[in-house]
This record gives sequence, C-alpha cells and structure tokens, in this order.
Amino acid sequence: MTEDRFERFVRQAGQDYHRPPETPRAEMWAQIEGELAERRKARHPAVVHRLGGRMPSVRWWGLGIAAALLVGIGIGRFLPREPGAAVTIATSDPADGAAGVPATAYRVAATDHLRRVETFLTVFQLEARSGRADEGTIAPAGNLLVTTQLLLDSPASDDVRLRTLLEDVELVLTQIAQYAVGQSPQELEFIDRGMEQRGVLLKLQAAMHAGSAGIQGAL
Amino acid sequence: MDETELVARLRAGEPEAQRTLYDAHVDKVYRLAHRMTGDDELARDFTQDAFIRVFEKIDQFRGDASIGTWLYAVATRVILNGMRKVKRFRRREVALDDVGVMASSGRRADPDLKTKLHGAIDALPEKYRMVFVMHDIEGYTHEEIAGALGVQPGTSKAQLSRARARLRQSLAAFAPEWAV
Repeated sequence: MTEDRFERFVRQAGQDYHRPPETPRAEMWAQIEGELAERRKARHPAVVHRLGGRMPSVRWWGLGIAAALLVGIGIGRFLPREPGAAVTIATSDPADGAAGVPATAYRVAATDHLRRVETFLTVFQLEARSGRADEGTIAPAGNLLVTTQLLLDSPASDDVRLRTLLEDVELVLTQIAQYAVGQSPQELEFIDRGMEQRGVLLKLQAAMHAGSAGIQGAL
Repeated sequence: MDETELVARLRAGEPEAQRTLYDAHVDKVYRLAHRMTGDDELARDFTQDAFIRVFEKIDQFRGDASIGTWLYAVATRVILNGMRKVKRFRRREVALDDVGVMASSGRRADPDLKTKLHGAIDALPEKYRMVFVMHDIEGYTHEEIAGALGVQPGTSKAQLSRARARLRQSLAAFAPEWAV
C-alpha cells in the first residue's frame, strides 16, 4: 500500500477516534461564568459568603460534612477533659460561647486546626517558591478552608484576634483551593506574596507558640 | 467587532466580549480536548479551564499572533498538562507492546483495523498524538499547529511524519503491505 493510501486510511478511520459529541456550549459557559464569579469573590473576600455562598461542586459538600464531623469530634473529645484548662491561642479569658459551645473546646479545636494549616502552608510555600505545586499538596486546601469557615461561623468565635487570624487563613486557603495545578508559576508567586504581605505564617507560628503550654495541658 | 476591539474589551473584562470569543472558538477547543482525552468530562474541564485562563490572563496577550492562536496555545497546554495529571486517563491508553502482543497472538483472525488504529493512536507519545490529531483528524494546518504548540512548522511536519511512521509500524502486523 502506498504512502498516500495509508494517509487516506488514517485520516478516514481517524475520524472515529474519540469522536466528540455535540459541544455542550451552554453547560460549559455556565460553568465558566460561575468559576469567574467565584474567582472575583476570592479576590474580594469582603463579599465571600461563608457557608451560605455557592459551593463549586458536590464534592465540596462532602468535604464540608467531613470537616464538620472532625470539628465536632474534636470538640467532643476535649469536652470532658479539664474544661477550665488555659488553652490560649489568644489572650482573652475562656468563656462559654453564645450557643453553649465552651470557649475552651472551641479554642482546642481551633488550635488543632491552625496547627494543620501551619503545616500545610509551610509545605505549600516551599513548593510555591520552587515554582511548582503538586496536586497532592494542594488537595487538603479545600477541606481546611471549609473547617476554617465552620470555625469562623461558630457562635464561640468571639475572640477578635483568633477571628482575624482565621480570616487571614480563609483568604489564603481560598486562593490555594482555587489554584488549578499546572497554572503558571506567577500564580503561585501571587499567592505566596499575599501570604507574606499578611504575615499569615508568622501569625500562625506566633499563635502556636503563645498557646503551646495550654495546648500541651489539654492534650 | 474586529480583533483589536475584541481584545480591548476582553482586557476590560466585558462579559459580552468573553462570550464572543467563546462562541467563536469553543467547538474547536472542545473537539480537540475530546479527541485527546476520549472523556467528555475531562474535555469539558479542559475546555472551561482554557477559556478561564485566557479571560484571566488576557493582560499577558502580547498581540504577536491572533487571539485565536493564543487561545489554542493556552488550550493545548491545558490539555497536555491536564492529561499528565489525570491518572484515570491512563487506563484508556493501549501500550504499543500490547498491540504487538495482540497481533502476534492471532486471537482475532480478522482484526478490526480501525480499532487497532485507535489503539495505536492512543499509544503515540503525547506531542506526536497532539500533532497527528490536530492535523490528520481535526484538519489544522502546520502553521496553526506550530502557533498553538510554540514550535516551527517544520517541527510540526516532522512530528506528524514520525507519528504516521509509528502508526504504520504498529499496524503492519495486521496489514503487512504497510510494513515500512
């Protein structure tokens, strides 16, 4: 068979190779519009609606439920122990929250969460500065974000300093969660710069240091 | 709306301009993504991602080529990078060795050449496959492929030639007259 005949054969038979269906124009455009809106919100955190806002997909609800369970388990785990222990992620005195969630339990859960965030952000920052971020590294961002939002929405979150820290963390995690692997190194640099400008890791480390004695006591 | 105006309005973030660009190119981007992945969900994801990146990074468009060429360059990067990341796509690939085993085992007396061809296309290295799909299946010119992949047209021609040679070699067991 000649070269021409072979080329004709591959062109003709190739038409059935992964033959695309009709382009789902409307569905994809709706997704694009939604994603652009989400990103605009992320760039302007003041208009981010926590929990009440539209979640990108069902998968996030699963993560949210899992995160809620984790927080619940964390609070439940620490409740029977030393309710008056001086767990100090911030300097305000322990007090019961408005909805009856003990402030101590809340702070223990928050401390535990912020420790995870600190570890996550440290690893992320190392990768970001090398110009790449693996899917596996970024994956926990969504889960951590939902837990952060749950903590912010808790009636026990009356500690202004802790709340400010959680809001900083929320912003950074939102950016990371929306970072798609394979995006340009500039995108990573942008997130990293934002973290630096807000001093998020320094604040986390300071909070961990300030609260470490109390945390050890509780654990 | 001419291209200069379109780009200016895209830079201003106008949804109408974004929709215009989308309508003009979405079919080609989606078709290419689907041809490369064989997976509707991935094709949608990659197509959406490509347009979102173009809308968000429009300030990086220097105007050296047309906005369409730049869009296809972004789209091919998204597709190639995305495929590397998505492991589930791997199970769709048929190794060249497997094609050879099937051929030599004679399990099918009358092998379906089209199926074998598709398996052999799957087994091509990704860049060869991209060039082959773009040129021989989707009808892009070498100049368009070169613009999208950031290579010279000569490189595109060479990769297509290599891709065809590999396909011919893979199919030779079923059609000996194609043996190189």
